[in-house]
Amino acid sequence: MQLPPFEYVKPQTLAEGLDLLAEHGDKAGIMSGGTDMLMNMKFRLEMPEYLVSLSGLDELKQIEPLPNGGLRIGAGCTLTELAQHPLLSERFPALRDSIQSVASLHVRNFGTLGGNVCLDTRCWYTNQSENWRDTREGCFKTDCDFCHVIKTAEKCHALNSSDTAPILMVMEASVVIASAVGEREVNMLDFYQNDGVEHTVLKPGEIVIAIIVHPVTARTIYAKLAQREGLDFASGSFAAAINGSNDKVKEARLVMGSVGPEPKRLADSERILIESGLTDDAIETAAQSARPALGEVTNLYTPSGYKRRLVRTMVREALQELRAQ
Amino acid sequence: MRKKLITLTVNGDEHELAVSPNETLLDVLRNEVGLTGTKRGCTAGSCGVCTVNGERGQAVLSCISLAVEWDGRSITTIEGLEEGGELHPVQQAFLEYGAVQCGFCIPGLIMTAKALLDTTIEPSENEISEALAGAICRCTGHIKVKEAVRQAAKTMREQRIQDGSREG
Repeated sequence: MQLPPFEYVKPQTLAEGLDLLAEHGDKAGIMSGGTDMLMNMKFRLEMPEYLVSLSGLDELKQIEPLPNGGLRIGAGCTLTELAQHPLLSERFPALRDSIQSVASLHVRNFGTLGGNVCLDTRCWYTNQSENWRDTREGCFKTDCDFCHVIKTAEKCHALNSSDTAPILMVMEASVVIASAVGEREVNMLDFYQNDGVEHTVLKPGEIVIAIIVHPVTARTIYAKLAQREGLDFASGSFAAAINGSNDKVKEARLVMGSVGPEPKRLADSERILIESGLTDDAIETAAQSARPALGEVTNLYTPSGYKRRLVRTMVREALQELRAQ
Repeated sequence: MRKKLITLTVNGDEHELAVSPNETLLDVLRNEVGLTGTKRGCTAGSCGVCTVNGERGQAVLSCISLAVEWDGRSITTIEGLEEGGELHPVQQAFLEYGAVQCGFCIPGLIMTAKALLDTTIEPSENEISEALAGAICRCTGHIKVKEAVRQAAKTMREQRIQDGSREG
């Protein structure tokens, strides 16, 4: 597969990069490691006139320990670099696990944290070659008003398969977003939206420049199931953060990934754990309640019935493991 | 689409090349530099046959890396491993253990193994599997390949000890 033609622009400073994005508007595409963007371009899902490479921006490659015990991680840090970083293993082991589980070592050598957080949504209908799509009708992702996977859908249900999203959400990390007009900070819990076409709150001209992880007092865990341990996107992923003891859960945040355009928070299951603690019964009920929380899950690389069973098992096993921490 | 002039060092030789922005490192290696040892497989970053090593010895998927991003940098390909007629320990081990079926994936597997062994002196089974997960053999599997990688790791450790005592 060849890449489509484009003009390559490589800013030397963040300010220059943000100006370029403002100037070129929707004609501009952004890449850092390129493992997601270049693939989408090869499939002709993205055809930017200008490709702005963020790979030369040292401002995005810093890992700064914060005085409160948190970390400010530049969006341009590669996943390999982060997986090997001692502070991450020491303070945020579940985040490290999620990073380590992304694709293959080859991909992690280039893929960045910012790229994984913004990872484009995928669907078995649209994420095919251009020739394949040419023989069929368009869909929400390709500017038509129809979904061929969930025929009654009113919007795109493509999957968000980011491995780092669920764990960053339960840790309530912040996303630092910048554009030519300024910076803003968004809680990871508010960063995604339930629409496969516009799956993040990023506006045109905005990019993610850093992720701030706050010190975590909770016990955390990240679990991922995929067809193969290496390389594959998750069939399902699950992250949990639990504050308090096994008997008395003060706070619980549970998020499932790879089940829709946004990672889904399991509010009912969280309530059950807070009410009853991490008992066998409560864990089983929490796992059962995760199934109906999923909503439409037919737009998947795995059948929806399988996915629902898988989610129940993942929630149960991960919570049991977390209880033993 | 304007071409850009880049300087790329391949296996120690500097090349000045005019490349289009949409050419990948793989395109340039095979079509401009003329080194066809690096293979074109899935071109989608999944199979790993296009693996080369970057300046820090890291595994690089040349099919999803833009050539323009490599301006002023250097890489090593499978052609750069042999030194003075002597095969690299990883190449030698692949030969000895018959870790080859059709052979197409071998350059990628060898460059992947070399990237691992350059940074990890005594890799665990898990580390070997983890590294090889990104480079796929479609003929059979990774059993013979892993045997070869273990052997290469041993040879490279012994070489390091010899080099060390010579220097000391």
